[in-house]
Amino acid sequence: MKKIALLGMIVIGVFGLTSCTSNKEDGFDKTKTVTVYTRDTSSGTRAGFMSGIGFNEATEDNSVLVDRFVTKDNTGILTAMATDEYGIGYISLASLNSTVKGLSFNGVEPSIANVINNTYELKRPFNYVLREYGDYNTIEEEQIVKAFIAFLGTIDGSDIISDKGAVSLDTNYTWDDIKGNHSICSSDNSGITIKFGGSDSIEKIAKALTESFVPKCGDFVPEHDHTGSTDGFKRTQGSEKDGDNAKHVGFASRPFRPDSEVGAPGTQGQLAWDAIVVIVHLNNELIDVTALDLKSIYDGTLSIWEEVIN
Amino acid sequence: MSTITRILNRYKNRRTYNKKEFVDKIVRVIFMMSTILSASFIIIIIIFISLKGLTPFVTSNSGIGSVNIISFLTGNVWLTGTAFQSSLYSIGFIIVNTLFIAFLSLLISMPVGVLTALFIAKIASRRISEFLRIVVELLASIPSIVYGLFGSGVILIFVYNLAEAFGIQSRGGNSVLATVLVLALMTLPTITAISEVSIRSVNKDIEQGSLALGATRTQTNFKVILMSAKSGIFASAILGIGRALGEATAVSLVAGNSKSGPSLGVFDITSTLTSTMLEGLKETTGIDYDIRFSVGLVLMVVILLTNLILNYIKKKVGSIDVK
Repeated sequence: MKKIALLGMIVIGVFGLTSCTSNKEDGFDKTKTVTVYTRDTSSGTRAGFMSGIGFNEATEDNSVLVDRFVTKDNTGILTAMATDEYGIGYISLASLNSTVKGLSFNGVEPSIANVINNTYELKRPFNYVLREYGDYNTIEEEQIVKAFIAFLGTIDGSDIISDKGAVSLDTNYTWDDIKGNHSICSSDNSGITIKFGGSDSIEKIAKALTESFVPKCGDFVPEHDHTGSTDGFKRTQGSEKDGDNAKHVGFASRPFRPDSEVGAPGTQGQLAWDAIVVIVHLNNELIDVTALDLKSIYDGTLSIWEEVIN
Repeated sequence: MSTITRILNRYKNRRTYNKKEFVDKIVRVIFMMSTILSASFIIIIIIFISLKGLTPFVTSNSGIGSVNIISFLTGNVWLTGTAFQSSLYSIGFIIVNTLFIAFLSLLISMPVGVLTALFIAKIASRRISEFLRIVVELLASIPSIVYGLFGSGVILIFVYNLAEAFGIQSRGGNSVLATVLVLALMTLPTITAISEVSIRSVNKDIEQGSLALGATRTQTNFKVILMSAKSGIFASAILGIGRALGEATAVSLVAGNSKSGPSLGVFDITSTLTSTMLEGLKETTGIDYDIRFSVGLVLMVVILLTNLILNYIKKKVGSIDVK
């Protein structure tokens, strides 16, 4: 019995000791190792981050990353950075809050304003591409697609986009202001199917957009089949535009390739930005980080905070 | 009573007897149908998981190449090369991690659980033991995601500070220790509840015999009651380890999900079979999706083998005069 009591005392003692140490305030120790946090290989944020820092090979390959990195989801990285003084991770800009420190990237502060004015670089565009005008089965299909693209630019559309975590572009008119220009939406379109495809990173946003737009435009039937950015152009104006997988609207979560993905005038555009922010613990002295530093941290070249901060 | 009424009565009894028999038959058929339904689900699940889980080994996975089963079971890096383009998966280190973590968590939850059970069953007053039993039942019914949230909100911070107190830099607390603590918390109610029942069912005569021979309460509790109930206590360990091996959600929130290993240091990040299956499951396709079924298949085999071994030991351990 005495032994058990002693054991109990030791356990309580250890708890007490650690709760004391958690309240201490002794600055940031630069000699500590950097703990690297990342999303898993299927994450779109990871793809955006890795291409943003010029480390494309790490998008879907864990073996090029530093040894013993921690894999977590968006919230997991955010909460970890509130605890782990020596961690570094990235989250989507929409989830940034005051429990962690968001770092400036290449000297520019992470803010929605800086994303929209195109100075903050750690981001990727969410683009759309349509079938060429005149290349639709019916005139109604073409008009619905045009109305949908117009809807993307309204306040209604941008609210949905920001709601899903992306940064929408500036706008100052609502769907009610412009719906007079799209008479197709006042007729019954329930027999018309519009096919959406391309980037799977944009799938959630695209689905939310059509869900809200369908009742506003005669209940047309949206069909979503998101298979990747490359298929966005290929299946609307590229080699598969007349195949079984042809789409009316394609999405790409990257810029269109200037050599192979240039479509007919007025058929391509941007609907939003996906901005990513690098975060560290509030005690961390670092305030600005460059793409090169980040690549060196993630591939393991820089492993001590001292090397990063100086 | 005349002969005629006697015959009539017998006939009447026969009829009601037949009716009862008929109802019995129907009830039996209903029972059998529900048994067949539940049993066939298990078979369907096993067939489905096996078919999906064997795909990466027997097909070329749309040109990527099939997975080598030997290196799959023995390797120490989850995936070598680029996802969706490589078939070099291995889970050898994850099997070691999983068993190691389950064993450690049992090492914590067993003593605590059994002592709690002993307290509830033998030492505490009736009112206190009633209250404690409700608490244990409540703990057992808390969903695993809640344990996971507690783990990521409290245990991670505790482990992070604990490591710091020892002068070790942990990875945000994500570690073997955090996982073990969460699993120990989760298996504790199961172990307590079942141990308590088995302690309660130890024959009173043995207990009183021990006391009559001059043994103290404590001596009786430890040397007589626990010894007599060891079979039931072992059964609680089997159920506990089953829960520890199969838990996914809570574990994946505190393990750190390492991609290579095995992780044997208590402050090192780790991964289990279940956390590996869960990670990115909703976003992935192709071989990277199918391989998770293979991991599931291995997990089922691991759980089955562990149970068989523990059941064998349990039989060897035996039990003494339990009501």
